[in-house]
Amino acid sequence: MNFLIIFIVTAILQLFTPWWIIALVPFLIMIWRPVSSFKSFATGFLAIAALWFSYGLYLHLDSQGAMSNRIAAIFSLPNGILLLIVTTVVGGLVGGLSGLSGYFVRKATS
Amino acid sequence: MKFFKAVLTIIITIGLVYALNRPWGPVPALGSFLSPFTGFWQNGEKIHDSKEEIILQLDSLRDEVTIRFDDTGVPHIFAKNDFDLFYAQGYITAKDRLWQMDLQTRAASGRLSEILGSVTLEMDKNSRRLGMGYGAEVNVKIALSDPKSREALLGYTAGVNAYVRQLSPKNYPVEYKLLGYKPELWKPINTMYMLEQMTLTLAGRSNDLNMSNVLKKYGNEVIKDLFPDYPLLQESPIIPAGTAWNFTPVNIPDTKSGSVNDSVLINEISESKPEGIGSNNWAIGPEKSITGYPILANDPHLELTLPSIWYQVQLHSPDVNVYGVSLPGIPSVIIGFNQNVAWGVTNVDADVYDRYKITFKDSSQNNYWYNNQWKQTRKREEIIYIKGKSEPYRENVIYTHHGPVTEYHDELNGTINLATKWIGHEPGNSFLTFYELNKAKNYEDYRGALAKYVGPAQNFVFADNGKNIAITVNGKLPLKRKDQGKFLLDGSNPDDDWKGWIPAEQNPFVKNPARGFVSSANQSSTDPTYPYYINWIFAPSERGIRINERLEKMTSANADSLRILQNDNFNVLARTVLPKLLSILRTTPLNASYKAAQQVLADWNYQNSPDVIAPSIFEEWMPILKSAVWDDEFNSPNAPMAYPTRDRLLYLILKQPDAKWFDNVKTPQKETLPDIAVSSFKTAIDSLTARHGAMSPSWQWSDVKGTEIRHLSRSLKPFNAPHLKLGGGSGIVNAITKRNGPSWRMVVELGPTPKAYGIYPGGQSGNPGSPYYLNLLEKWEKGELNELIYLSSPDQQNTHLTSRIILKKK
Repeated sequence: MNFLIIFIVTAILQLFTPWWIIALVPFLIMIWRPVSSFKSFATGFLAIAALWFSYGLYLHLDSQGAMSNRIAAIFSLPNGILLLIVTTVVGGLVGGLSGLSGYFVRKATS
Repeated sequence: MKFFKAVLTIIITIGLVYALNRPWGPVPALGSFLSPFTGFWQNGEKIHDSKEEIILQLDSLRDEVTIRFDDTGVPHIFAKNDFDLFYAQGYITAKDRLWQMDLQTRAASGRLSEILGSVTLEMDKNSRRLGMGYGAEVNVKIALSDPKSREALLGYTAGVNAYVRQLSPKNYPVEYKLLGYKPELWKPINTMYMLEQMTLTLAGRSNDLNMSNVLKKYGNEVIKDLFPDYPLLQESPIIPAGTAWNFTPVNIPDTKSGSVNDSVLINEISESKPEGIGSNNWAIGPEKSITGYPILANDPHLELTLPSIWYQVQLHSPDVNVYGVSLPGIPSVIIGFNQNVAWGVTNVDADVYDRYKITFKDSSQNNYWYNNQWKQTRKREEIIYIKGKSEPYRENVIYTHHGPVTEYHDELNGTINLATKWIGHEPGNSFLTFYELNKAKNYEDYRGALAKYVGPAQNFVFADNGKNIAITVNGKLPLKRKDQGKFLLDGSNPDDDWKGWIPAEQNPFVKNPARGFVSSANQSSTDPTYPYYINWIFAPSERGIRINERLEKMTSANADSLRILQNDNFNVLARTVLPKLLSILRTTPLNASYKAAQQVLADWNYQNSPDVIAPSIFEEWMPILKSAVWDDEFNSPNAPMAYPTRDRLLYLILKQPDAKWFDNVKTPQKETLPDIAVSSFKTAIDSLTARHGAMSPSWQWSDVKGTEIRHLSRSLKPFNAPHLKLGGGSGIVNAITKRNGPSWRMVVELGPTPKAYGIYPGGQSGNPGSPYYLNLLEKWEKGELNELIYLSSPDQQNTHLTSRIILKKK
């Protein structure tokens, strides 16, 4: 459930807020609906990773990799899909750490 | 403990977000760059949907504008007045080329360091010291005081800015995201900067200093012998030899130069214009065409970049319907055609950039010596902001009546101050020339438009459906005594000043010549009978010779005949000199690999075709031969000297084989032409072998030449064009060198309705993620042209048309 909430809320907010909103949403959700520390991290990670991966994949396929394959080459990566995986992990890490922070804040204040 | 864990994870999270939110060296802020919602992922584009119709509500438009796109991505703009027409041109050009417009304006105005840091500071300083800003400021005042150019500039500016204002960061062109900066609003002066930049590219240098060094070292006799004012061996001037000059020339005061004994040795590598920046154009008259009307062709040779320097557009309003290529940042069409006329340009290579030696009274540089008295200087403060530095770089550039002064330091001479007198500083409104050509209906309109032009001087070729053809060597050409500006001039001597201008109507031109065609390829404007001095050196004659030979023989020609000539790979230089050189090699014993290479040359048909080996050997050999002849006398790193021209070298080889110049003065023995020919041939083969292995298909001309079309950044290699298979070369009509070449090829059949064809390497979009980034490249590579869709109304049916955009006033 937390996964879905983070995924949907972030997807909507991302349309008109800066990228770092992904560090805020899991944090707040995990304060609001705490689970275990591991689950908080994993849910934040997976929700943001899934969001960035799916939208990135859509844009990659839609343009046949015209931009993503070239940017991948600038960063010495073989193709856009690998760059998508890097993107996914970066987004996931921020989401995961944010979720974990939210969980610990809830623990520290309750 | 609980608090500690919470604080620690928050710190780690914030640290990560902070690290991802700022650039690290050349790496952009990765958070926003990688996010699919804001980053580069957003920059992919799709093919225009043919049923798509977008309606945009925009500020400050006066009426409705319709823009139709064809399947190559060219916009066809239909407006009801000039303001809206240029508004839409600005809007749509910005949509496709915003970053290019930004980069080129910054390069011209010396503001690159604001976005790129101190690596570009020297470039910026040079732009400032040359007075690009001074020239642009002078010109924008004039342009804004003329109602026509004012309307165009204000409309264009409003259009570009309407596009910039609606951009959100996620839609910035990807280069902004990579470099981490924001688009800024367009200003009318930016158009003037673009014109300055063109003047710089085409007429922004001279070899005055290198010539002065030759004069100082070898004296007048050698200058006369090796640096003549007209080619000795062969030339085919733009205005056919024998054309009568039907005017009384104005008097040029016959004054003595003060400069001759005052030359300086200065250690400035004066950068000469690379061969390959030039152009071809020609028009054939009705008697040579199968259509019974003239046909016109033009291919400007510039650096080949992505995006292209050109942007195709059709502009339609109640009093104009023109199609052609524009320069992003400049309203109107620069090379193109309308219902009645077609025109094109090549560079003149006029001597409009002269250096004057300046003597200041004291270190304050407030006064300089001129006409036997101290004259006041003016100062212009230049401030360059540099990314990553809190304090900007400041410099006061000193202006004399000649122009801005640059200070040079050199171990031999100490400090030397040189002023630059340059056509780029001359006030004028060259934009009006293009504006009026866009609307021209006949020959008189063409001549009227040309009279308004300042520079860079161009050979304007022209044809109309009244069956006229013409070419004019056009621009403000300074009135000078012969050879004035061939060497450094004396800034204190009024006799060395420019004496005014050649009257516009006396600029060399020819209309409907007896030979049935007009042409230009940057060679000498006229034969030596023309009563004025334009320059002592022009581009080598080979392209002009070949074009004129082919046109001479051409009958019943159509557009395709001219397209084939644009792709002509014949090597006139090889035809001229190779038989002589091969006859020398034949009498020399050579080992097997040299022998094989010699045989390849002997069997060659002089075509610089992409897949043959002979041109690779020949083109490798010629520069080495040139160095072998001249380096011992003219290579002087402390005081760089000009080298004699290619024509002079050919004359030496063919007509003066015993000349002393063949001897290498740095060796005790005496070398002769055969010694030098053979040794340079061997060096060339050895050099090719070292780079490409023993002779094999890897020596093919296309691979050895290795033409590359780079992204404007020069550094983002994945944005470059893929490997290309191309023939041609410098001095070849198909003038594709490693980096330069036909940046636009156009052929127009005049007639009741014009039929036109054109292509450039690249595509309309500057976005590497767009299907319109490289869509024209393959056809260009093959030497083919697209038929240009010339519409007469916005609702015309045409199978090539796709989407449309309607601009409505808010």
